[in-house]
Amino acid sequence: MKGLTTAFFVLLAVAMLGAVVAPARAEDALEAIKARHKLIAGVKNDTPPFGYLDEKNEVVGFDIDLVHEIAKALGVEVEFVKVTSPTRVPLLVSGNVDLSAASMTHTREREGAIDFSITYYTGAQTLLVPADSAIKGLKDLAGKTVAVQQGTTLEKTLAQAAPEAKIQPFRDYTTAWLALRQGRADAFTGSYDVLRGFAREAPGFQIVGEKFSLEPFGIGVRHGDWQLRNAVNAVLQDLWTSGRYQEIYRKWFQVDPDMPIETWPKG
Amino acid sequence: MDLSVVSRNLPYLAMGFAVTLETAALVILGGSMLGLLLGLARSGRVPGLRHCAILYIEFIRGTPLLVVLFIVYFAIPPLIGHRFTAYAAAVIGFIAFIGAYIAEDLRSGLASVPHGQIEAALASGLAPRQVLRLVVLPQAIRRMIPALFNQFVRLLKFTSVASVIGVTELTGATLAVNAREFKPLSLLTALALAYFAACYALSLLGRWLNRRYAIAS
Amino acid sequence: MEYSFDWSVLWRYREQLLNGFGLTLALSLLGLTGALAVGLVAGAAGASARRLSRAISIGYVELARNVPLLVHMYLWYLGLTALRLPAFWCGVLALALYSGSYVAEIVRSGIQSVPAGQTDAALALGLSSRRTMTRVVYPQALRIVAPSLAGLFSQLIKDSSLASVISVGELTFVAGAIEGDTFRTFEAYIGISVLYLIAVTAVSRAALFGLRGRIVEPAMRY
Repeated sequence: MKGLTTAFFVLLAVAMLGAVVAPARAEDALEAIKARHKLIAGVKNDTPPFGYLDEKNEVVGFDIDLVHEIAKALGVEVEFVKVTSPTRVPLLVSGNVDLSAASMTHTREREGAIDFSITYYTGAQTLLVPADSAIKGLKDLAGKTVAVQQGTTLEKTLAQAAPEAKIQPFRDYTTAWLALRQGRADAFTGSYDVLRGFAREAPGFQIVGEKFSLEPFGIGVRHGDWQLRNAVNAVLQDLWTSGRYQEIYRKWFQVDPDMPIETWPKG
Repeated sequence: MDLSVVSRNLPYLAMGFAVTLETAALVILGGSMLGLLLGLARSGRVPGLRHCAILYIEFIRGTPLLVVLFIVYFAIPPLIGHRFTAYAAAVIGFIAFIGAYIAEDLRSGLASVPHGQIEAALASGLAPRQVLRLVVLPQAIRRMIPALFNQFVRLLKFTSVASVIGVTELTGATLAVNAREFKPLSLLTALALAYFAACYALSLLGRWLNRRYAIAS
Repeated sequence: MEYSFDWSVLWRYREQLLNGFGLTLALSLLGLTGALAVGLVAGAAGASARRLSRAISIGYVELARNVPLLVHMYLWYLGLTALRLPAFWCGVLALALYSGSYVAEIVRSGIQSVPAGQTDAALALGLSSRRTMTRVVYPQALRIVAPSLAGLFSQLIKDSSLASVISVGELTFVAGAIEGDTFRTFEAYIGISVLYLIAVTAVSRAALFGLRGRIVEPAMRY
C-alpha cells in the first residue's frame, strides 16, 4: 500500500535525521541577544492584564512592561512574538524566542523542558461566572461545563479540585473567554488577575468562590541559558529594590504586590 | 449587526488584508516554482529523483495543511537549529504544501499534450530537453490554467489558516478585534465578504485568461 | 538546540489519539453526508431550466467556495451566537456547506454531461420530466461523479483538522493537548500526520477497489 510505505519511509527518514542532527550545539542566548542587539520575547496577546491588545491594537500588559525593563537593562531593543499557553514552551524550546514572559506558572514538570526565573508574580486560581449564575464556588461545579485554557496548570488543578466538573479545554484564553460570554460554558477558570482583566471588559460577570491554588509565575528560558536567567533575575530584583516593580504592579493590578520578590545580596 | 466596528478598526483590518494578499502573492510564485520543479522530477526519468518526488508529494497530499504548518513552525526548528518567524513558517509551509498539488496538476498537464506533438518535434531534430521547453511545457501550462487558478484561489483561502500559528493576516486581525469588541457577526460577515471579493476576482481572472489562452481540446 | 526523541508519548497517549481519530472520522462522515445532501440539491438546481433555481445555486456555490473553510467554522461557532451550537456540529455544518459547493459543481457538470439524447429519448418514450430526471439523468450523472466523491471524502478528512481551532477534540486538537502536556511537539505532529496519511490512503484504496471496472480517471479538480 503506497500510503503506508510512504509513511514508513517518512518515519525512517525522520528517525535517522533525528539521530544525526540531535546532538547539535546549544547557542548561548545572552550572547545571541547582545550580538543581534535585540531581545526576542514570547508574550501573550490574549491574557489581560499580563499581555493583551489595547484599543490601538498594540500589545501591552504587566509581562510586556517587565520585558521592556529587561531589554533596557541589557541595552538592547525588544521584539515581541505572540504566544499562547500551548505554544509558549515549544516556541522557547525551538529557539523562536529567547525567553517566554507569558503568564506562565513555574512547575516542577515544566522544569523538565525549560528553566525559570525567580517568581515575579503569585496568582491564585479561581472562577468567573455570569452575574446571575447559581455557581458560588467549587462545590457547585458538579456537572457544569468549565472553560479552561489548554496547556496550563489550571486544567489539572481544577480536575483535582472539582472532579465532577466537565472540563472543556480551549486553544487560547480568548476562545475560552468567548465560550463563557456566549454561554457555551457555565464557568471559566483562570488566574485571579486574568479573570479580573476579562471581567473588566464586559459587564455582567463576576468572580466567585475561594482561591484554590497558588500560581507562581516565572519567566521561562531554555535549559542551559544560565547567563540569561541570571540577568533576568538580577533585573527583577533590582526592579524590586528600586521600587519600579511596585509601580508597574500597581499600574496593572491597582493594588500593592502581596508577595515580595526575593532578593539576594550581591556578594 | 453593527458595521461601525469595522470602520473603527479599519486601519488594523486593512493591514491584515494587505498581509493576506502579500502572503498569497509570495506563495503563488514560490509554490508554482516548487510545483514546476517537483512536477518535472516526478515525471522525469531519473529514478532517484522521481522516487523522492513521489514520496514527498504523497506525504503532503495526505496531510492536512494545518498539520504541515505546525510541523514547519514547531517541529522542524529544534531539528535544524534555526528559528522561523510565524510569517516565514507560514510562507514555507504553504509553498511546501501547494507545490505538491501543482506538481500533480503538472503531471496531468504534461500527460495531456498529444503524443504526436512530441514525436513531430523530435522528428524535426529538436533535442529532448528542447522539446520539453519549447513544445510540451508551453502547451501543458496553457492546458493547466483552470487547474492552476483553482490552486491559486485555494491558496488565497489557505492564508486564513496562518492565523492559527499567530500570523496577523486578515482572519487573525479580525479575531483580535473581536476579542476586544465582541461583535462577532458583524466582523465575521465583513471577513467573509472580503475573502469572497478577493477569491471571486482571482477566479474571474483565471477564467478570462483561460478564454484567451486556452487550447481548444 | 538539543532535541532527543521520545516516540513513546504516542503510545502513552494512544487512548486520546484514538478518541481524536474517532472524532475526525465522525466529522468527516457527517460532513460528507451533509455535503452530498446539499450538493445534490444545489447541483440539480444549477442544471435546472428555471432561471431562479440556477441563480440561487450559483449564488450558493460562489459564496460558499470563495470563503475559507476556517471562516465558515468561525461563522457558525462565533458568529451565530444566538444558535449556540456545540462546536462539533459547527464543524460538521461548516464542512458540509463548504464541501457542498464543490459537490454541487461536480453534480451540475455531471448532469449537464449526460448526453441530451438520453433526455430526448426518455421524454419521447413518454416518461414525465420528473421521471426522466430521477430515473435516467441522475443515475448516469452520479456514475460520472462517483470517482470524484472518494477524493472528496479524503479531502474532508484533512479539512476536519481545522475544527481543532474551534475546540473540537479531533486528532489535531489531541496533538495540541499532547504537546501541551509533554512538550513533544515533533512526535505529536508527525504522529498525527502519519495517522491522517493512513486514513486518506485507506479511503482512496477502498474507493479504487469499490469502483473497479467502472472507474473513470479521477479528475477531481479540487
